Amino acid sequence: MKIAISADGPNLEAKVGHKLGTSQYLAIVDVETGDFEAVPNPGASGQRGAGIQSVLLAVSKGVNTIVTGYCSPAIAGQLKASGIEVLTDVSGTVGEVIEKYKRGKLNAGIRAGVKSKSRWAKVDKGALVHATRSSTKQFINLLPILVGVVLLIGLFNTFVSKDFLSSIFSGNMALDTLWGACFGSIFAGNPINSYVIGGELLKYDVSLFAVTALIITWVTVGLVQLPAEIAALGRRFALLRNGFSFILSIPIAIITVVILNLIGRGVP
Amino acid sequence: MNTESSKSKNVRPVTRMVLFPAAMLVIYGILFAVMPEKASLALKSSGNIFLNMLIPLCLVFVLMILLNIFLKPAQIARFLGKGAGIKGILLPAAAGIISTGPIYVWYPLLQDLREKGAGNSPIAIFLYNRAVKPFLLPVMIAYFGWVYVVILTILTVLGSIAIGYSLNALTKEEERL
Repeated sequence: MKIAISADGPNLEAKVGHKLGTSQYLAIVDVETGDFEAVPNPGASGQRGAGIQSVLLAVSKGVNTIVTGYCSPAIAGQLKASGIEVLTDVSGTVGEVIEKYKRGKLNAGIRAGVKSKSRWAKVDKGALVHATRSSTKQFINLLPILVGVVLLIGLFNTFVSKDFLSSIFSGNMALDTLWGACFGSIFAGNPINSYVIGGELLKYDVSLFAVTALIITWVTVGLVQLPAEIAALGRRFALLRNGFSFILSIPIAIITVVILNLIGRGVP
Repeated sequence: MNTESSKSKNVRPVTRMVLFPAAMLVIYGILFAVMPEKASLALKSSGNIFLNMLIPLCLVFVLMILLNIFLKPAQIARFLGKGAGIKGILLPAAAGIISTGPIYVWYPLLQDLREKGAGNSPIAIFLYNRAVKPFLLPVMIAYFGWVYVVILTILTVLGSIAIGYSLNALTKEEERL
């Protein structure tokens, strides 16, 4: 039975963190064995997705109950769906909370979560409202860059000639695919942008080999996020993974188009 | 993560998001002043692209709601941490496919899984399968057709397994040396 307490410091004397997502640490205690571990909270810097990062951390540590000062309804819902109970409105030090919890005397203001072994969240009105809000947020986040990309394509369609593109994408299958993979590796972000760019490039007679390689590497190879991947997963892993992904995009692009041609189906 | 964090501190995500479209609007503004005919042609071309995307984008929104109702990041995290053999391939692949949001949100979890002894294979499989996004399929199908999408999706999943095995084999080789 593990409880996680949002804390301002890494020890038993630390105060309970005011907010789950942005507390400095999660103090994780196994109430049966007494094992104590203070894990830095990945969302402590307050960047986007701080709450979700705390949820992921709690799940990966096998936590059963979370004790904190405040937890947003959205994050409480995520925890509830994962079978994690949330006790909010709790104050004092980490040590005091552990003792009270063991004696069953923890006076939590709100029990935001109820243990549930169900993998699927129950679809009720609240879940639907929450999902619609999250989706609207996701959708709105997706739109600005998409609008920018479409405006850029408008310029591209007006000012760039087919001759110019032909000088880059010469019709050589291997070379075109390589160029497509290179472009996709440099750029990153939501894959929807790569579909729009790829779809428009096809209208300029750029080969489907190149466009497919661009779509694959857009997500699987990320030069922009390489420093973050190196910091999280190590230099060797990040470089090898990106390198392999780049190389593999070329045969995947070629095989995809060859199969498509063999079965006699082109793109619309 | 440090790089991402410092970036986030320096430039607010909202600012970062609107910077690119704002720059485009500025360029259009200048173009309308200098060569109005070309600028209106470009704007018309952009408008046509938007019109063609309208229905697929509505479907994207509906799919997003459905996925948000039934799938939570925490459940995806459970997918990632479990399983060996064929499950060790299928679960991270499924987690990668249904995961949403920017990749840097997932790095701490992947780092933690690594520290807990997870191999390179599931992490690489997860990252590669993020290229398959079910809620964006309407847009992809609108541009490339469903046959193309099916072939590419299958090959992407198979490719992820190849990447996972290659990385695992290479790392084991290094450990032996």
